[in-house]
Amino acid sequence: MSAQALANPARKASPGMTLSDRALLQFQIEQFLYEEAALLDAQNYREWFSLVTEDIHYWMPIRRTVTRSDRDREFTKPGDMAFFDDDHRLLEMRVKKLEASSAWSEDPPSRSRHFVSNVRILDVADDDITVDVCFHLYRTRLNSEVDSWIGRRTDVLRRFGTTFRLAKRHIFLDQTLILAKNMSTLF
Amino acid sequence: MAQEANGTYKNGTYNGWDGASIRALFDPKTGWLDRRVHSDEALYKLELERIFARSWNFICHDSQIPNPGDYFINYIGEDQVIAVRDETGKVNVLLNTCRHRGNALCRAEQGHAKSFVCSYHGWNYALDGRLIGVPGQKTYYHNDLDRSRLGLMRARSETYLGFHFATMSEDAPSLHDFLGDAGRTGLGMMCAFEDIEVVDGIQKNVIDCNWKIAVDNLFDWYHVMYSHASANSSGLVDLSKVLFPNNQMVMLGEYGHAISGPGLPQATQDQINQLSDQQRIEMAKTLDHPLPRIRPQKALELMGSVGIRSMGHPNIFPNLWITLEGLQMCLRLPRGPRHTELWWFTFVPRSATGERRRRMIEMATHLFGPAGLLEQDDGENWSQSTRACSGVASRTLGEALVMGVGRDKVEVAENGQRRVETGINEHGQRWLYRAWTEWMTADNWAELKARTPQAEGVV
Repeated sequence: MSAQALANPARKASPGMTLSDRALLQFQIEQFLYEEAALLDAQNYREWFSLVTEDIHYWMPIRRTVTRSDRDREFTKPGDMAFFDDDHRLLEMRVKKLEASSAWSEDPPSRSRHFVSNVRILDVADDDITVDVCFHLYRTRLNSEVDSWIGRRTDVLRRFGTTFRLAKRHIFLDQTLILAKNMSTLF
Repeated sequence: MAQEANGTYKNGTYNGWDGASIRALFDPKTGWLDRRVHSDEALYKLELERIFARSWNFICHDSQIPNPGDYFINYIGEDQVIAVRDETGKVNVLLNTCRHRGNALCRAEQGHAKSFVCSYHGWNYALDGRLIGVPGQKTYYHNDLDRSRLGLMRARSETYLGFHFATMSEDAPSLHDFLGDAGRTGLGMMCAFEDIEVVDGIQKNVIDCNWKIAVDNLFDWYHVMYSHASANSSGLVDLSKVLFPNNQMVMLGEYGHAISGPGLPQATQDQINQLSDQQRIEMAKTLDHPLPRIRPQKALELMGSVGIRSMGHPNIFPNLWITLEGLQMCLRLPRGPRHTELWWFTFVPRSATGERRRRMIEMATHLFGPAGLLEQDDGENWSQSTRACSGVASRTLGEALVMGVGRDKVEVAENGQRRVETGINEHGQRWLYRAWTEWMTADNWAELKARTPQAEGVV
């Protein structure tokens, strides 16, 4: 996957949509993203998990510092190593771990704040809407630990009645060496 | 090539530390460790000189840089090095610092280059480190510059089973002799099944802990059920199966190398030894284990008759951990007394494709690394333990590596492999700190060779 394509994904035209259709969809999507972010910040992982589809792919490739000429190797490819590479079964294991009474890395719990911005609807195909967002996940832990993760995501939201389910979350972090002792929370 | 790195260690003392006071930091007979080994700035600086600059350091695997011009950046202590394959196919390990003003030649962490050009003034180095171009050599330097004396500084590099190591010491023994039996057995574990290659993507993160706390934890099978209880609840892995079999086997090797963890009983191994490789593959399918594999016949040569029984964790001193029976290795790079970078390397058989490859990588991504269900919980233990090594009162308390001390006897096999057969224990941790005191107090390699402990008697 080329970095150029990742950094500036192409937006497909949606010919049938009027400006007001687009504005309404933008509003609905943003509301969904805010709601699921609030569930994560409230550590309501089980309810958050109910918003993902059975065919979810939750993936954070490894990013490397590379020269400009080598940018097509900036991110690891699907199937190679990653920080997160979860299907529904594996993602549920993370939720179960967070729910366990012995998840020491999150007990005492961290405080997190998930911000999403720059929400761009890239593609509307049947029920699947591809959205590109910038995120900032801020975490403090114990008394003095601060982690700050910024990056962009490509999410696929699938229409589900009047709202959505999350069918894909591909996370492209703006760090190569992860400046944290762990990533024990969800993005 | 560096001089034996002891320039700052004057008249037998270094910032107040002399041989006797360093030796007093750890008592192998009782297992008590002085907490200052995990916090003291002067000891840390001495470690960079006396341990990292003198030992062989893992740099990369052959498959990471298959073609001429391919390079990978790593470290010897805090010295950044470039491992690069030149046009002749040889792998050179070069200090990543221009001989003019010191600027880094490579700022990417991996890639491909025809030569290394400094971004400051354009000095140009060949892949073997020779200085081949200096802008203005005639006009500005009046041809006075002797380029032959200004090549990149080279580390000594050698290879075992495709793993490239480097040292800054001219006096270090060969890599083969440095590894000794325990180190070679550990790397043999990586290659015991089939020819391997690295999986693209080295996970890197930084933990606010002393590097030795991360290292000694790999010998610690006591913490597994408690620290990682929530990984057990997740359903990813049944830790009681990881801890199978119950008996622990600890191999204690030269210069601080050790292998510790579950060991197959000799009687089980004797039965396996009767089987063909095909029969072993069939038998492995019946195992209820997260990594159902039984080593083939060729593993005997790579690991020895004792080593082949190990299902545990080798550490190549000082900082290279081998885990998951050779699926992954983790390098612990020192970044000051209170910070450590963890670099995870993952390997699969070259022949592995499709579902087999996918399952191996799934295990690697989900157990270890900063988001791994096991490793998430380690960092906090290590950082809080490190923190308590600095308090005026807390640093006086010592660490109690006392489990099993003085209770086990070293057995020596016919092939010379030395091991202890026991239950959960802290032998590996004690062996690490015992070797650490030798590395820290030996003035040169001759002294270190003479003093490297041999495991014998009661430990």
